[in-house]
Amino acid sequence: MLNVPVRLSIRRPSPTTVSYTVSNAPSRTSFSAQATFYVTIILRVLLAISALAVAVAKFTQVSGAQKVPGAQILFESTSLGTFSDGIATRFSWKIVFPAVAAIIYAVVQKGYTEESLLVIRGLGIQTSTSSSTYLSTAATRFIPTNEIRDIFIHEAFKGFEVRFYLAVVVRGEEDVVVVFPNLLPKRRMLEDLGSRHASQSAGISNVP
Amino acid sequence: MHAFSILTLGIFIAGYITARWDLVTRLYELAIFAWDHGVVTRATKGFAILSVFFFLLILPAERLAAHETILHPRVEGGVIMLGGHKLMRVFWPLDIIRTASTGVIVGWRNSDLDIVVVTVLEDVEARSVENALRIGTLFRGSPHPVGRIYQLCGKVSMQVLGTLNPSNPPPTTLFNSSHIFAFTNASSQPPRIHCPQDSAISVQIILFEKPHPTRMQFMSLNPMSLALDDKPGHAVNGSTALDSVDLEAEKERQRKSRLVEKIGLHTVVRHPPSEKELALPAILTQINCSFEMGALLRKNIGLVGVRPRRHLSVSERVVESATTMWDNAILGLTNSITIWLLPILIKVFIVFLVFHRAMAELILRVLEWRLRPEFAALKDISATAQQVDIRLQQFCYWPIQYLTLRSRKDDWESITDSHPDYIRFYNSLWLVANDVIIGIALGSYIIENAEWVAYQIDSILSSWTIEGLQRMISWLMFWPAGLKLNTELAAFLGDLFLWVIDYWAGCVANLRPLLPQVIYFIGFSSFAGASVPIALFSDLLSLLTLHIYSFYIASARIYNWQLTIIISLFHLFRGKKRNVLRNRIDSCDYDLDQLLLGTILFTLLFFLLPTVAVFYLTFASARMIIISLKAALDTLLACLNHFPLFALMLRVKDSKRLPGGIRFELYDTQTASTSLRQESNMPRTSYIRLKSVPLSLRAMFQQYFQLGHRLRKHYLAPHVSFCLVTGRFVPPIHRRNLYSLQYSMLPATRASIAEVWKRLTERPAKATRVRVSQGNINSRRGYKESAIF
Repeated sequence: MLNVPVRLSIRRPSPTTVSYTVSNAPSRTSFSAQATFYVTIILRVLLAISALAVAVAKFTQVSGAQKVPGAQILFESTSLGTFSDGIATRFSWKIVFPAVAAIIYAVVQKGYTEESLLVIRGLGIQTSTSSSTYLSTAATRFIPTNEIRDIFIHEAFKGFEVRFYLAVVVRGEEDVVVVFPNLLPKRRMLEDLGSRHASQSAGISNVP
Repeated sequence: MHAFSILTLGIFIAGYITARWDLVTRLYELAIFAWDHGVVTRATKGFAILSVFFFLLILPAERLAAHETILHPRVEGGVIMLGGHKLMRVFWPLDIIRTASTGVIVGWRNSDLDIVVVTVLEDVEARSVENALRIGTLFRGSPHPVGRIYQLCGKVSMQVLGTLNPSNPPPTTLFNSSHIFAFTNASSQPPRIHCPQDSAISVQIILFEKPHPTRMQFMSLNPMSLALDDKPGHAVNGSTALDSVDLEAEKERQRKSRLVEKIGLHTVVRHPPSEKELALPAILTQINCSFEMGALLRKNIGLVGVRPRRHLSVSERVVESATTMWDNAILGLTNSITIWLLPILIKVFIVFLVFHRAMAELILRVLEWRLRPEFAALKDISATAQQVDIRLQQFCYWPIQYLTLRSRKDDWESITDSHPDYIRFYNSLWLVANDVIIGIALGSYIIENAEWVAYQIDSILSSWTIEGLQRMISWLMFWPAGLKLNTELAAFLGDLFLWVIDYWAGCVANLRPLLPQVIYFIGFSSFAGASVPIALFSDLLSLLTLHIYSFYIASARIYNWQLTIIISLFHLFRGKKRNVLRNRIDSCDYDLDQLLLGTILFTLLFFLLPTVAVFYLTFASARMIIISLKAALDTLLACLNHFPLFALMLRVKDSKRLPGGIRFELYDTQTASTSLRQESNMPRTSYIRLKSVPLSLRAMFQQYFQLGHRLRKHYLAPHVSFCLVTGRFVPPIHRRNLYSLQYSMLPATRASIAEVWKRLTERPAKATRVRVSQGNINSRRGYKESAIF
């Protein structure tokens, strides 16, 4: 796995609610970075549309089904339509359909992970991990405060390295809930997060 | 002050003055005397000196102290207190954020700074609403007792919480938690709670969408369970059911719980749960109830204060009379049906149900009968018997389930206990309907093509299990693949198996003319659902491959014996023997003749082993193929009987009905409240959105995962391959464990006939009572619409 630098961003609208987000996405603060981001989005959408068009063209050729009149005009008049028709006639369906599936799969991939910890005083904490594609939503887990037994930072082997992790012990559960389970930020960052947060909850203790 | 009390006070003072005129004149004389002797000027001088003292000394000291407190906040035990900030938590429904009108906020107050807003009542005064809430005017005409809701919502009652968009601005310095002031406007800005900067209160506004109880939406802290959890210690009740997999899992669980206990010892700071933290389950119930309570309050608002009411226009009146006339006609028709026809139909239906229940009980008893407790019952052996058992148990459970669901109508719709029951009931109904529909299609096909199907099955069976096996054995008898097996032994074994196959082929040939009738029977049985022919086919397969099973067992025994003998003779060959008492290998001094004979026998048996192994391998692989075929059929049966189809449809249609927990989303306050922050003295407000997480697909298919896990643990274990290699009998997985999936939606013990009769006969009385108390057609129609899904 590539070691992408992980950034921590904090949102704190009031002293009782804090959201810590850890992300390995490239920073998008400068204008050029933002422009690149939007251009890639547009390119992704275009690529997906053309891949789908090729798939539709191939499907109509293979099944011999009549095209819907509107689609017929669309395929004959636009350059995208003729282009996709051309590609569809050149290759067999055994190549076209897997290729289209692969392109669609690659297009919806996000390419980065974003994990966050939302601490709401009086309610509990919520961990969330963004999904790897643009299609599905983030997986979240909410733990009410009275179910939290302890929060600690510990170390574990992962592959050939030792990583520190922040974990929550939940009452009545066998397994601890690891916060930021995929990115596993550095120990300095976790400790920083803990000491920053000490002003709010006295629950974080560092078990050596 | 109220105008009336001012008038009263004035009249009182005037009366007092006229009655005690002499006292008033005395006071007047005293005032003249004091003025003459300079009392007033001396008092003014004293006041001026005190003011100068205050301005010069006290005020600067106070400013300095305040400045210092800001510079050095108080540190207490290493933890920085939030400047003594207290947290005000407000749960605010999303449907009242776009009004600009004035109103009274009504809701639940869980603790001093923890409130749940239910609704806003417009055009009334706060005091009269409070009175009405106390007396109960606002709950008049409630379909069910309000006390039940109070009991569920943590034994707090509804209160007036504050004012929305007050007409006169609230006091700027004072924050009163018992009466808040909130502001909303027509744009989609979130609500704003008036909270002065210096009151040291930070506000959490948690916006939620009211779950619609009629659509059976609700929020829940824990994922809802689709299976029926009334099987206490399912794995524990019988020692036979507890196999090695369960034991291993139990051991692992204990190890983990010990670890968790150990983690508990490391806890440094333990803080007792606060009132706010404990209130969360009650708050979720309050949110679940808020829609219905809000509707009830708004309906009764006319009883409280003056409310501007618009008269209906002529066209509206015409429309109204037309609709009510249609309703009246319907009402008359339904009344005549309900009074004359329905009771008779219900009686007939109940008698039919109980008769059906009695028949089912009889068949179930037969299916469950065991010769001795440790023997297998019929349903443990045959897939068909088990399928019939499942269907009958479902039929037995349905009336009870339906009555439970009907009793839901006697209570508030916000009460969410029976929603999983509802999903289970309609899921099983829908699965049975699907099963029957697929079965009819399958059955009509089989009946129409019975001859052809019978011919195909016969040809496949004979070509694979008889001719194929015969060819295979003859091939093995004459040096297969150039492997020089022992000719005599191979010929003996091959001839033995070939004779048995010949005999079996003769038996099957006798049965062959019957096969079309059997296929006809299977075809007709499939009108009871596609699962029946599948189960029948599974049983037919085990019957028609009985010879392969017996071959497998015979060859496995021979192979195993030979292997055991070879191992013990190998010990002899090494000059050792097995000590059974100590369970170890000891040295042993054998005589020469013993050694000689043993070694000769060892060599002999060792050279004969490949021949036996080849036959064993053939039959074992045939047996494995049949087992996997039956496993595929069983999986198909499990899908037909248990697939969470209804839950999946609900997930697509309205995922709020399948809550799998809750989720909070922090609103980006940079955009949400910068404008607000500028315009007023908004201190620290965070906006959080409370959402319901739909049940994950993994949780829906939880039991399938469990089943897969169990099968994998059982059959892909090294133990099983060891058994296969040494020719020992592979212990089959207990059918009860395997099919616990299919029974997961059924109760562990079914209700007795007497109980069913009792519950069915008491139903009509209850039903009429409900009808009288409700009396509102519209609400019932709404229920029916919701009941379709």
